[in-house]
Formats: sequence, C-alpha cells, structure tokens
Amino acid sequence: MSAVTLTARRVLPPLVGFGSFVLILVAVEILIRAGAINRFIVPPPSEVAASFGRVIAEENIWRRFAFTAWECFAAGVLLTVFGVLIGALLHRVRVLRLACETWVAAMASAPLVLLYPLLLVMFGRNALTIIMMAFISGLAPVILKTIEGLSSTRRVLLNVGRSFKLTPSQQFWKILFPSALPAIFVGIRLGLIFALINVVGVEFLINFGGLGQLINELAERYDLPGTYAAICFVVLVSVVFFATTERAERWLRSAG
Amino acid sequence: MAEIGRLNRARGARPWQAAVTLVRVAIVLGALVAWQLLAISGWLYGEVVPALPVIGAALVKLLCSGDFYWNLWVTVYEVAVGLAIGGFSGLVVGLVLGANPFIARAYEPYLYYLGPTPKIIFFPVMIMWFGVGGGSKIAMGALSCFFPIALNVAAGMRQIDQVLIRVGRSFRANPWQMATKIYLPAMRHPVINGLRLGLGVALIGTLLAETKLSKYGVGSLVMDAYARFDMPRMYAILIVLFALAIGANALVSHFGRLDDIKQK
Amino acid sequence: MAQGLAQGLAQGSANASTSNRVTPLAQAKAAVLTVEDLEMRFATGDGGIAALDKVSFGVMPGELLALIGPSGCGKSTLFNIIGGLLSGYRGRVAVDGETVSGPHASIGMVFQEESTFPWRTVIDNVAFPLEVAGMSRRERIAHARRFVSLVGLDGFENSFPSELSGGMRQRVSMARTLASEPKILLMDEPFAALDEQTRLLLGDKVLQIQQQLNQTMLLITHNITEAVQLADRILVMTYRPGRVKRVVDINLPRPRTSEIVSSEAFGRYVAQIWGDLREEASRGLIDDEARALHARGRGE
Repeated sequence: MSAVTLTARRVLPPLVGFGSFVLILVAVEILIRAGAINRFIVPPPSEVAASFGRVIAEENIWRRFAFTAWECFAAGVLLTVFGVLIGALLHRVRVLRLACETWVAAMASAPLVLLYPLLLVMFGRNALTIIMMAFISGLAPVILKTIEGLSSTRRVLLNVGRSFKLTPSQQFWKILFPSALPAIFVGIRLGLIFALINVVGVEFLINFGGLGQLINELAERYDLPGTYAAICFVVLVSVVFFATTERAERWLRSAG
Repeated sequence: MAEIGRLNRARGARPWQAAVTLVRVAIVLGALVAWQLLAISGWLYGEVVPALPVIGAALVKLLCSGDFYWNLWVTVYEVAVGLAIGGFSGLVVGLVLGANPFIARAYEPYLYYLGPTPKIIFFPVMIMWFGVGGGSKIAMGALSCFFPIALNVAAGMRQIDQVLIRVGRSFRANPWQMATKIYLPAMRHPVINGLRLGLGVALIGTLLAETKLSKYGVGSLVMDAYARFDMPRMYAILIVLFALAIGANALVSHFGRLDDIKQK
Repeated sequence: MAQGLAQGLAQGSANASTSNRVTPLAQAKAAVLTVEDLEMRFATGDGGIAALDKVSFGVMPGELLALIGPSGCGKSTLFNIIGGLLSGYRGRVAVDGETVSGPHASIGMVFQEESTFPWRTVIDNVAFPLEVAGMSRRERIAHARRFVSLVGLDGFENSFPSELSGGMRQRVSMARTLASEPKILLMDEPFAALDEQTRLLLGDKVLQIQQQLNQTMLLITHNITEAVQLADRILVMTYRPGRVKRVVDINLPRPRTSEIVSSEAFGRYVAQIWGDLREEASRGLIDDEARALHARGRGE
C-alpha cells in the first residue's frame, strides 16, 4: 500500500461527496433554465448565490447574527447555572434524585418548544420569550449530565477525600465537581445546541429577533433567492457552531 | 462478597420506594397548590394563570368536543405519514451508509452536521413545494425525522457482531434473508432508539409547522386559543398534547426493552 | 493391546516418513473433502505474508480429522477458505471430487466465537438453516428438535442464548450446523473459550454425535489433548507459512470417552505431537519477539 493510495483513500470519499452535491446543483441549474423546474418554486442556485451578497449587505446580517448570538448566550448562561445547580441538588439529596430523575428525562424527550405560544402570552413578542424558550429546552440535558458526572466519580477518589477528613463542601469542590466536569461540559454543549435550535426556530415562528426572523421576513416578501440564501446562511452558522463545540469538547476531554 | 452487597441493597430498596412516592406526591401537590394560590392572588395578570378548576373545566370541555378529536386525528395522520416517509428513507440511507464505508465517509458527515439544525426554517420552502395544506406539514415531519433515523441505523449496522454475518453467509442466505433475518434483528436496539427520537422530532416539526400556518391540527388549535386569548383552553390543549407525546415516547421505549425482559 | 499400539505408532511414523501429502488422485474418489495445493498470501504494507504454502490433504468419510498447529500457522485462514468465506487463494477445494468455491451446502461451519443469534430461542436458532432453505415452520421445528436433543439440550428449546452457559451456547451453534446435515462439519476451535473440564465433557458429546450420525468432521484446534482425544488422524501444521508437517494416525479404540486421557497410549501420542509442535511454536515465539523489537526500534 503506497503513500499515494493511502492519501487517495483519505481524500477521495469527501471529494466524491462534495463533488456529487456540486453536480446536483449544476443539474438543478440546468433543469431550471430549461424550464423543467418552475423557477418560482425553486430559484436557480446561481441566483441564490448572487443574493448572498445582497442579503448580507442589505439585511444587516451581522447585527442580526449578533442578536441571535446574544440570545443564545443569555439562554446558555441560564441553563448552565440552573442546570448545574439543580443537578448538584438532585445528586446531593438521594430521595429527590430517585423521585425526579425520570421526570427530567421525560422532559428531555418532550416537545417543550410547543410551549412557545404560552410564553408569548406571558412575556410578549420579544427576546425574553425566545430566551426563556431556549432555556427551558436546553435545561434537561445539563441536569441529567451533571447528575451523571457527579455520581460516576470513582469511589476511590472519594475515599481519598475522606481519609484526609475533608468537609462535605471541600469534598464537593475539590473532588466531586472536578471529576464531573467532563460530563458537565458535554451536558452544557447539548444544552447550547438545543438552545441555538430553539432560538432560531422561535425567532422564525414569532417573527422577532435576528437570523430566524430574517428568514421569515424574506419568505413573507416572496424573495425566493433571498429566503434560500438566508436559510443556507443559518444552516452554515449552525454547522459551524456544532463543529466548534465538538472540537472544544474533544480538546477538553483530552486535556482533562 | 458481591452477593451480600446485593442482598443488602435489595432489602434496603423498599423504604426508598415509599419515600420516593411520598416526595413525588409532595412535589405535584405543592406545585398545584402554588399554582392555585398564584391564580387566586392575581399576582401575575390573572388571565395568564387561570385557577385550577377553570383549567379543569376547559380540559373536560376539550375532551368532550368532537372538534378536538378531528384536529387530533389530522395531526396524528400528518405525523404518521411524515414518520413513515422519513423513517423509510432514513432506514434505506442508513443501511447503505452502514454497509459501505466509502459512501459513509463521503456522505455521512453531511447528515451528522446537518442533523442538529432548526428544521422549521425550511418551512417556507416546504410550503412552496407542497402547498399550504397537509403536504407541507408532512414534509416537515419527514425532514425532521430522517436525520436521527438514518444516523442511528448506520451506527447500528456498524456495531453488529461480525460473526453473525459469517453465520448467515455460511448458510448461504440470500441478501433479502440476510437483511431480514440477521441485519435487522441484530440492529433492533439502535433502530428502535432511532425511531423513538424520530417520533419525537417528527412530532415537534409537524406541530410547529401547524402553529405557523395551518387550518387544522392540534398546533392550529393552540394558535387559535392564543389569538382569542382563551388561556384555559390553551392550557388544556397543551396538557393533553404533552400527555400524549410523553406517553408515545414511553410506549416506544417500553417496546424496545420488551425483548430484554424476555431474554432475562 | 501393546502390539496394537506399537503397530499404530509404527504406522504413524511410517506415514510421516512416506508422505506429507495425500495423493489427490487416489484419495479424490474416496475422500469427502479434498484440499489440493492450497496457497494464500495476504497483502500488507511491507511485502505481504504467506499464510498457507501448498497445503493438501483429504478427509475420509466418517472420520474426524484434526488439524493442529501453533498460532499463526494459518488454521483460521484454512477454515475460512474451505468454508468458502475467503477467496483469492490458489489451489483447489473439492467435495466428493467436485470443486467448490464459496459457501456450499455440503460444508457446515461452526465458528470459534459466540455465534448464536441472541434474539432467537434455541429451537429457532437451530432451525435457522432450514428456514433459509425454505422449509415450512412445522417441519423445521420438528427437524430441529432432533438436533437439540442430539446435543443434549432437551428442555431448553424455548430458552434464549443469554440464559445459557458458554458451553451450552456452543452446543446450540453445533446443533444449528448439524441441522443443515452437511457432508462434512468444519469446526474452528469451537471450545477455545471454555474451561478444561467443560471441554473434555463436550468432547465426549462430539464423539457421541460423530458415532450416531457417522458424521465426517474436520476439527481445527491448538489443543493437543483435544486433538488426540477426538481424532482418527491428526495433521500437524508448521508455523507460517502453514504446511502439513506430519500426518499421525491415532489408533485409540472407538467408541472413545474422555477417560482415554489417562491411558499410556494417549500420553505417548500427546508427547509425539508436542515434539513436532514445539519446534513450530518456538519459531512463532521468536517471530513475535522479533516483531516487537522491530516495532520498538521504529519508535511505535
């Protein structure tokens, strides 16, 4: 197996994957120009690409991006603080944990985002609704992972603490919490991902905010290429966010 | 030594069970009492926190109205069809990805990174392609559930014990027999888990689409209640919705665990 | 008795001196399975490994032929080639004189690893080959029951593999393969994962089954005691590249039980085979050490 074949093996699949998508876009472009696909339903990829620049320039995309980002950040802070606190509490009080853990797990799989009309009534059509929705959606994974991390601390480490007569508070901060950090970070990452999805989604649904609202607005204006371009932009942001947090988590895991 | 430890824990389990039930009841009662106090005091503007009996009455009224069941049926139908379409295509794609490492390396990253994106933003496109009726909702449901199902099926295929495949080949099973008698049963846990997740997101996708633009369906009922500021009705609908969603999820997980119980 | 033993030993060494191959033409007509000039190379980063080098032998009807060799002699490669799961070899595999390639109805395989289907009951596991062949449910359950009984698992038809011990699970695998009624049963170290005592008892079971069905068997093993206990003939393989080093006739009485392990003749056979095997096994050990040193030298 020569070096050339090895590199080829590594590079070829991603090339094929990317290449096939490019081919599909080209095919779609040709079909639209030929009239086989209605250009008022599917805009030509070339037009979509062209409107990227327009959308970025005209629609204040960076301001919108910043707005969405700060909503995510606020939700993220809330779900981290409350998630870890509640998780630690449930871990500490065994009865509470046994009683509530399954409920929290059920919450994690429930369609919480459907509560947004309720939040709309409570808080109005503004950022608070969006932040609260993202907070509620992302809370459960943080709680569950915090509990998991704390309870999977190796027994021997706890015994070391006891042999040094640490107080419960010291035991928590010096042994339990550091040992649980990797799992907690995984939980926070999951929570942040849910938060982003919900922020953008609810922005779209209630027509307020940054990037999500942009898509809604462009759609209501029947700006087809613009809508597609905005959707692509949001997907790109989401992918970058997901990949970055994944990289960060892996780095933390190898460091810790 | 381990035996003794286990015995002790079994004996100790019973007092825990009672305490747990007590705590759960206390939490639920506490929440209900707090709610009622909040409603009566009018501390938040009274309409947002209706009194419990009012919600109860709305719930009864809802469950007795044929109109509700009609809309529920529409939603169930849309979710079911969306799950079927997204589930089937997810299954096929997952099988291909799991079977062929080259294709997996070429295309699976796209599924993996596109999975955790907010699918509702595709709704305008779905409306353009499938109209304002049920088609766009079904499309939302299908789009939402395709990703977790495909990824879980692909992962499931890769964790199959290779010796089982060799057994199948040594008995000269044809590809259909290999798929149905060996691959699928060996993957049943990841597949069922994928279905459970798929059901969850298909439900969310369809309902959100209904809240955005729909004449029928439970989602549209919620927005109706919102528009009329009929809070007790909104709470009633949400309660029923969540009960059904959590129930469906529990059912699928239970079904998935069934053969473990059988085998133990 | 001593005379018979002496004769048997003489025969064994006579075989050893005359041939390391069974002549294809003479045996092809009589043998159930013939393997001719099997060669297999594996491509690796640095040149390639010759796993098998012109292996030839035949398995006679009703006999249990054991193939014994050190780790790395290509036993599992041979198993997979004969069973039809491996291609890219040179040479020929024939059943009743006809060349076969790919999995064949007349060759049954019992694998070394856990291979029962965990989601099927014992009876459904055993009936699997019949199901694949298209037999009706009633017929195949009745048919499978016989084989469940044959391996001594009566009463466990509706149990799941997870409820059984390792030895019982291997019996299920064996019953499953036997249910397809192959002309020859190939077994690749089927008892490797079991403890010595279970192994001896299961060996008894195998002998019993072979007796009852007059089943031709090819057993691949690294365990000398097991080989001598079960076999009519033993082929000793060299270390890589695998070749047949010696053929030993085992003239221990049939029917046999595991009590035979305490007899003198048994001990002599074991000693003889170890004599041949030891050389090959040492070669394997030296090779392993050399490779480890090489890897260390490369800084891995």
